[in-house]
This record gives sequence, C-alpha cells and structure tokens, in this order.
Amino acid sequence: MKHNKISTGTLVALGLSIQSLYAVAETGTDNITEVKDHSHISHNHSHAAKDKIAEGMCGSGMRMDLDGMVMHENIDNLPKDCKQISEEISIQVKAGVKYSEPYPGTVFGLDSHSWHAKPCARITIEFKNEDEIRHQWMLHGLPRYLYPGGMFHIEANGLTTKTGTFIVPSSHYTYLVHCDIAQHMEKGMKAQFVIGKGRKDLSSIPGLTEAKFADSYPNKSSTAISTFRSENIE
Amino acid sequence: MSKSRLFCFFILLLCLSNTSSALFQPPTTTETYLGKVEDFCPKKHINSWRQQQQIEGVDIAASPVCSPDNPYNIAAFVKGTNNVSMATLMNTHLAPDTLIKGKDLDGDGDPDEIHIRLEVLELNGFSPDLADPVTTYNIAPGIQPGFWTFVPKHRGMSNKSAETLVANPLIRLPSPAIRVEQGDKVFITLENSHYFPHTIHLHGVDHSFQTTKGEGNDGVPQTSNKLIMPGKQFTYEITPRQPGTMVYHCHVQAHTHIMMGLIGMFIVEENRANNWVQTFNVGNGFVRHSSKAVAKKYDREYDLQYQDIDRELHNIIQTANDSRLLAKAFNRDYNITERTPDYFILNGRSFPFTLRESLIIVKPEEKIKLRVFNAGDQLLALHTHGFKPTSTHLDGVELKPSARIQRDVFTLGPAQRVDLELYAHNDGLHNMGAGIWTFHDHNELGVTTDGIYPGGHISSIVFESFLGENGMPKLQGVDPTPFFTAEFYKKQYPVWTLSDDKKHYGDVFIATDESLPAEDSETTDETQMLILLAQIIVLIGTVILVKRNTGNSHEA
Repeated sequence: MKHNKISTGTLVALGLSIQSLYAVAETGTDNITEVKDHSHISHNHSHAAKDKIAEGMCGSGMRMDLDGMVMHENIDNLPKDCKQISEEISIQVKAGVKYSEPYPGTVFGLDSHSWHAKPCARITIEFKNEDEIRHQWMLHGLPRYLYPGGMFHIEANGLTTKTGTFIVPSSHYTYLVHCDIAQHMEKGMKAQFVIGKGRKDLSSIPGLTEAKFADSYPNKSSTAISTFRSENIE
Repeated sequence: MSKSRLFCFFILLLCLSNTSSALFQPPTTTETYLGKVEDFCPKKHINSWRQQQQIEGVDIAASPVCSPDNPYNIAAFVKGTNNVSMATLMNTHLAPDTLIKGKDLDGDGDPDEIHIRLEVLELNGFSPDLADPVTTYNIAPGIQPGFWTFVPKHRGMSNKSAETLVANPLIRLPSPAIRVEQGDKVFITLENSHYFPHTIHLHGVDHSFQTTKGEGNDGVPQTSNKLIMPGKQFTYEITPRQPGTMVYHCHVQAHTHIMMGLIGMFIVEENRANNWVQTFNVGNGFVRHSSKAVAKKYDREYDLQYQDIDRELHNIIQTANDSRLLAKAFNRDYNITERTPDYFILNGRSFPFTLRESLIIVKPEEKIKLRVFNAGDQLLALHTHGFKPTSTHLDGVELKPSARIQRDVFTLGPAQRVDLELYAHNDGLHNMGAGIWTFHDHNELGVTTDGIYPGGHISSIVFESFLGENGMPKLQGVDPTPFFTAEFYKKQYPVWTLSDDKKHYGDVFIATDESLPAEDSETTDETQMLILLAQIIVLIGTVILVKRNTGNSHEA
C-alpha cells in the first residue's frame, strides 16, 4: 500500500499561492488593459431599477458639475489592511497635447508618467487640464470593496482643474493610470502609480516602457523618425 | 467470330469495368458544427425601454424593435441636458453641458438658443498592449472595421465598463442625426478629442460664410477654416432660415474622413409653436419624439443613412499606433482611385444586425416619413418590397405635388437625400398588404458583406401583426441562425446549409441531432459491392473461355 506523503515543499507552495490569490482579490484586476473582450460579462452596478445605465455611477461617491466630475473619492475610509495613514501626498498632474512633445508619435500627454507613494498613503490629485477638450485621470486596481469597479476617476472639462483624494491599501503594487477616452491612452496618456516597491512595470508608458505590439518603421537609417526613441526618452 | 477476338473482348470488358468503378468516387460531404451563434436579440436590451412613456414631460413613442433608444437619452435630447433632473442625467452617459437649450427668443413656447457639443471618437482602433482592436463596435457578426464618428460630448469611459472593450452605446455609427428648428440660433462646438485634425462642414444647411466674430464658418480648410487640431475646440454659428434634410461632415481630407464615418444628417425642422425637437437621434432609425410639423402629417418617422465601406481604408487604424505612421498611411499611401467597397451599412449596421435596430414598423393605413441619405461613395438604388413610396423632398427641398414621384426604386448619388412618404394603404400600389417587406439596395453589391449574400444594407418594413417578441419579425423563410455567426461571413459555411438536408450543395454540412453519416456509407458500399461482383463474373467468364480455346486447339 502506498501512502501519499505531502512534502513540506508542497505545503509551502500551497500556502504561498493562497496568499497571492488573496492579494490579487483584494487589489482587483491586475492591469485593466489586459482584459480581452468579455462583453458577455455585464458590469451591472445599478442599485435600483433595471432601467438605470450601469457604470458604477450610483450617485454615491460622485460629484459632478459643469467643470467635470470626481468618482469614488475616499477621504477618510481606511482600507482594512491599513492601521493608519502613512503619509499625505498632494500631486498636481497637468494634461494636454503640449505634454506629448517629448514623445514623438504621441498626440496627447501628461507632465509626468509615473508617481510614487507609500502603502496606506492618502493621495490628493489636482488634475489640471490644459487642453480645450475633456481629459481623465483614472486609476485602476484598487480594492473593490472600497472603490466600485476598483477605480478612482477624475474628469476635467477643457481648461478646468478638478481635485480628488483616495487612500491606497498596504500592498506594494503598480496601479494603471490613464485617460479612458478612446485612443487617449494609446496616443500618450498612459502612466503608472507605484506604491511602495510596486510590482511589474506596465507596458507602453511613454518614456518608460516598451509596447507589447510595437510599431515597425520603414527606412530606419534615413529619416528623423529612426532616432526618436533614443533621443527623447527622459 | 474468332476465339482470339472473343478473348480480347472479354479482357477489354474487364479493364473497362475496373476503370468505370474509379469514376464513382467523389469525396463525401463532411460534417461540421455551427460556431458561436449570437442571439437575435441579446438579453441586455431592456424591455421597459420599448414602451411608450413620458419622462420629464417629454412624450416618447413606443419602439418595439430589439434595440430601442434609451428613453432617458430622448428626454435629455428634447429638453436639453441643462433642463433635466440629475436622476434623468444619471440614466444616460451625457454631460451637463452636452446640449444646452436657452431662451425662447420668439415667444412661441420652445427654446431658440441651442448649444450643441460634439466630440470625435475612434472605434476598433489599435492598441500597443493588445492583439485585438479596442473600443469595439461590430457592424455584423465578427466584423469590426475601424471608424471615426461624431458623438454627442459625454462623460465617463469610452468603454461600456472597465470589464469590457465594447464601446459605450453613444459611440457608434452613424454620426447621429441632429435636429434644430428653423430660425433657431444654433452654436455647434466641435471638441476635437481625436488624434487627427477635423472640421465640420454644414452641407445644405443655411449658414453664413463667417461667424459673428469673423472666423470661417464653412469648415473647409482650403477656403475658410484652419484645421481644428487635437485638444482644441471651435464653435460654428448658424441660424437656418430653411427647413429640410441636410448633412454635416468633416471637410479635412474629406475623401477619407467622410468615408471613415464623419458624416451625418442635419435636419432643420419647420418652425412651429411649442416645438421642442429631439436634437440627437443616436444610431438614427426611428425618431421617438418627432417635431410638431412631422407629427401632424405622419404616424412615424425614420432616419435612414446608407454607407459603403472599403475594408482597406478602415483597417489602417488597426495597423499602427504612431500618429505619424497613420497620417502617412491615410494621406499619402491610401489611394481612393483603387477603392473597392466590401461592406454596406444602414444606420451603422449590416444584415442581420439591421434587423435589431433598423426595422421600419408600421400598421395598416399609417403614413410613415422616411428621410433617406446616401452617405457613401456608391450609387444607392433603394427598393422597397410591398410598397411604392412617394418622394416629397429632394436634398431637403420640398417638391411641388406635380413633381412628386411614386416608384419602387429610388436612386441617390453620393450625399443626396430623398424624403419619402410610405403609405400603408392596401391598394396594390401604395402597399400590397401586411407582411415583412424587405427593403434594400438593388445595386447588387449593397446586399452583400464581403461578397457573401445575404448581407449589406438589407432590412425590413414589418407590420405590427408580423412582429414577435423582443422585436423579432415572425420570419417564415429559411432558418436565419447561420447569419448570426462570424463564420458565415468568413465564408466557412455553405450558404444553403440549413435548407440542404439532401447535401446537394455543401462541401460541409451542419450536423444536427439526427444521425446521418452511417446511412450514407452503407449506400456507397452497396454500389461498390455490385461493381466488384460484376468484375468477378467477367473474370470467371474470361478464364472459362480461355480454357475452352486451349481445349479446342487440340481437337483434330
């Protein structure tokens, strides 16, 4: 008769995988841009009648006016894994076509594509839109029990500034930040917010990381386009 | 006959019998299965939206099709986003400043200062992070050409939600039909949220060459306006004196930008008292809140925009991300003189999706107004089964009664419009009785999708008595299931597959629950056995004859 012995190694591996599953569940989707078309999933966040449009805009945690809106703001609700706020951070983020100039081939931009804070930080973003059209500063991957859909969203109309605050949990993570208007992220408005040590860098961030599906350029030696990447990365 | 000749004859017969059995071996029809079949009407479409209803005092007609317009959108488009409650606005994706309706300048009970805000957004574009297009919009099962479209300025994500890449329902083809009232002071602000420059030209709409500030108002880069660059906005001003079905479109690199989808209907309604018009008709089709003038004469009104699509042009945005590569591909590499259209859409969809949205619903004796617009590059030859409509306006200009034409094929060149009156009066001329009456382009390209029929512009005029649950017509023709698969339009299924139980026409057949292959192989084996038997008989006969011959040669 054979006995099935569970080795110590297997137990450790099992324990670690359960741990990481828990962590992922807490922090939500790893990187929203990896989502394939799951159109059969309906993200129905409506509280009331079926008549309502579902998008997580339930009326709670949203303020909207003629300048724009802030959704899922969280000023003082501590994530359950934070004993206290570790630091207060205020960041001004400027958005607009003019910030795409250092990155040839992009059209829209941000004055910075990367920010950093400690775990359990309270972060206030002053989002200054210098274009005449609307733009967004949208962060993905927050815990869904605190932020519907795992998102914190600032939207500013042209030439307006909107400010919003959120608190991050204790995990070391790299959150996706982008403008979610069609093709704004792809054309330059992608960034990341690194909490603590962060995790893996996200792809296609101007000046920071490579694309997964990079463009191919003709006549690499003869035109100015050929040298753009090396000259213009900050 | 000599014995040797007889001998040769039998050998020949043997050979022939062998060769003739090889001719009866064509390949058998192999079995396959239908791929993913979409529902005729996906469950997401909300039944309560189909009812006749009143929201914030706005009368909204019933729309019994599979995919009705969001009635909250209609209320906001009629009253203005500044005149509806936050609760109503929260049931839409609209922003508070999407549509601002101001003062009643002539005191007739409806606002005459209208401020419309439009954006330009891209569908089915490239992503450097994903293998598939983003902000998706299908014109037919599995078909996602790239598009640019004018959209009412709104709020929130371009995707329906964070869990999907499907575009939010405001972002679609065609660019929405816009309605204003004759005499209104209208400001149209284009907020260019796209990565290419654009303008708006108001085609046929009464407008001055310059705005009150002296800026260009015609939208043409060569003569009147600078390009509206990404991130910038510009406001056009009009006070249209004449009513009619007109057009608006981008005039930058017009040969490609128009074809990409930056074209829509612009309708100036006749001035009447208390005439709050439905400023946007997103997705065109049925107008759920008609103007006073139209509602007086007609029971229902439909906006119909036709367009043809060259796949090569629309694929460009799916090949690269760098705006410089895309600009060169559009402006210098693409050659419109070599254009061949592949897809044909009515109100932004091809068959069978046209059946979800663009059915013309009618009851006996009703009069229906159709505003038909050819936004494409090909001639449109619109044919209606079961009806002979009458033209009432050409390019928005009313025809005198003696000039009106009643016929069953109306031709429209590019950018032309015709207003038609469809009268469900069963006299064999106006109408031939109740039914499901197909209407389609009789230019045969227009009824195909990538060369496959049925496809293209096909839709139907459906009498209410022939309309079933969830807006599905009570079809009595062939089983339409294969049309709702991507594989059908990738040419993987024989077209007559579900009608072909005798397997006369397909290289493959769609397996059903009934058993089929076993029977077939039996029949084949039988024939082969008979041939084999015949061969054996001939061989035995030859052997006997040969033996007799050798025997005889020894006789004295």
